[in-house]
Amino acid sequence: MRRSLQRRVIVGGVVWAVVTTIIGAFALTTIFNQAADRRFNEALQEQHLQLIVALTNAGAPEDIETFLAIPSYQRVYSGRYWQVTDAEGHRFTSPSLFDYELTGNVEEGLWEANGPQGPIRGYSEVITTDDGAIWVASVASSLIDLDAERAEMRRSVALAFGFVALLGVACAALLTAMLVRPLRQLRHDVVHRWDTETALAPEDYPAEVAPLVADINELIARNRNIHDRGRRQAADLAHALKTPSAALRNELVRLSTKVSGTEHLFEALDRIDAQITRSLARMRAATVADVVHVRTDIAASIARLERLFRRTASSDEKDFLVDTASGSVAVDQQDLEEMLGNLLDNAFKWSAGTVRLSAREVDQFVEVLVEDDGPGIGAHLRESVLKEGTRLDTAVPGTGLGLSIVNDLSQAYGGRLDLQESPLGGLLCVLSLPISIVTRNTSQTLSA
Amino acid sequence: MRILVAEDDAALGQQIKAALNDEGRAVDLVQDGEEACFMGANEPYDIVVLDIGLPGKDGISVLKEWRRDKVDMPVLILTARDGWSERVDGLDAGADDYMTKPFHMPELSARIRAMLRRQAGQSDPVFQRGPIVFDSRTNKVLNNGMPVSLTAQETAVLSYLFHNAGRMVSRTELSEHIYEYDGDRDSNTIAVFVNRLRKKLGNDLIDSARGQGYQINLD
Repeated sequence: MRRSLQRRVIVGGVVWAVVTTIIGAFALTTIFNQAADRRFNEALQEQHLQLIVALTNAGAPEDIETFLAIPSYQRVYSGRYWQVTDAEGHRFTSPSLFDYELTGNVEEGLWEANGPQGPIRGYSEVITTDDGAIWVASVASSLIDLDAERAEMRRSVALAFGFVALLGVACAALLTAMLVRPLRQLRHDVVHRWDTETALAPEDYPAEVAPLVADINELIARNRNIHDRGRRQAADLAHALKTPSAALRNELVRLSTKVSGTEHLFEALDRIDAQITRSLARMRAATVADVVHVRTDIAASIARLERLFRRTASSDEKDFLVDTASGSVAVDQQDLEEMLGNLLDNAFKWSAGTVRLSAREVDQFVEVLVEDDGPGIGAHLRESVLKEGTRLDTAVPGTGLGLSIVNDLSQAYGGRLDLQESPLGGLLCVLSLPISIVTRNTSQTLSA
Repeated sequence: MRILVAEDDAALGQQIKAALNDEGRAVDLVQDGEEACFMGANEPYDIVVLDIGLPGKDGISVLKEWRRDKVDMPVLILTARDGWSERVDGLDAGADDYMTKPFHMPELSARIRAMLRRQAGQSDPVFQRGPIVFDSRTNKVLNNGMPVSLTAQETAVLSYLFHNAGRMVSRTELSEHIYEYDGDRDSNTIAVFVNRLRKKLGNDLIDSARGQGYQINLD
């Protein structure tokens, strides 16, 4: 089975959320970093301009401080520094630099270097004052604040995008639930559709599911058709073969009163009849493979056959004890009744005075027990009776196929027939048939 | 006793008819469901042998239609499909008995006799009135223990009166139940048969009321 739709949508939603979050966060951070950088550099150049203005106005570097009345230049290692170097290499620095000097990488334009407390970025320019003196004027600011700002920014972005990602996953889950709901409903409806004759209504489903619903309708109808057609063909064939066979037998009976030696003809006719019965039973069992989904109320079918065999019981003056069970089996009604009928027919044929039918649910099966107080079947013969269809007593009318037909049919449905010894003294037939999938699944579906 | 046999197989139908005729029954044979339905609803049959696999209209539908219209003669279903479901369907539709093909003719005869007896409310196959004993299984009649030879028509009249014992049966009803559909139905012949029966079996057996009909009372 392919992965579930729900999982697909949720996994898709998560992947989508992660990818968009990463790309979005990266882009936003880059843009913000560039803006922060630009702002930082512009501020540096602004400070540099103030320094030059102060130097020009002061005339001497020693007096710059009086013209640059900015507190952060006064506080030691405040993170804002200036430095002026004259042509001879004398350095004049802001009090904030204290004993530190901007050296090394100090060059024309923007530069970065290690400051007194972590990395700094500076801006230097060589200027010539009105009196013709040449100075290298530098300002620098600590990068710690910028880094802190960037980190803060990254945190905010991560938080915002994390929220967006969560929202995305939640939406995906919600969306799946909405998408899957008609499919769940469809499954539920299809399960119940098998019990009823009314087709599903495609217009009750979303446009995307409706064609599937129509297809399911057709599939169910076709399945029933195949099954019905197979059964009808078997019935027609039965009629077509058994009627002339009956005519032949009657003719033979008349003939046998006039000439002798017709016994072998009766035997041949018996074989033909048995073969017809056997073949028809096989055809019937074969159509079972085409049945996808059937359900029969076990109690209803037992009640129907009880009506039939009550008559046999009263005309034969035998006791017929019935203890029925509720529930449904995954067996076609006619096939279920065929099995029950054959078992009961057999039981009444052999019983001395009592036939008992009982049913009970065992695990995933319904067990129907049919037993009698007749002679029973010896353990060594039971298997051959099921397999070959043997007539154990040719004096009793019948084809000898009843039990093997039940055996074939029950196996076709995934069930089985066991022959045991009944406490009543005769044969005990235990017919196990699978419980209807509908019965089994409905409770699961509804609880899911 | 008049019987409708609805069987689409000509050979089997003729065999059933011949076998039942041999027992002194009047038999009408039809081969399709529509005709069976019409005949059953319009002729006074004592019993119907109905094949389920009839062309035109299947036996179960025919039977349901009869029962819906309160046509209530006993019906024995013949089926080639030995499906048990079908037998239950047949009985539920109102059949009184069923047989599956292939069957033995003597068994069909026995079932029909039993159904006729049930209809008459008589559990014993042997009917008795005074010195006269009528065995419905063999159609043999004894007078004071001596066998009496009767013609087919005489037997049919006697059998019908015994099966409807205690009730006044008109000549018309008698002729309807002993003659087949195509038969020459002259109710005056009934009087002839009754006269012959009286000669052979004595005057006390059959009571008559002028213009009303005949009656046998059992002991």
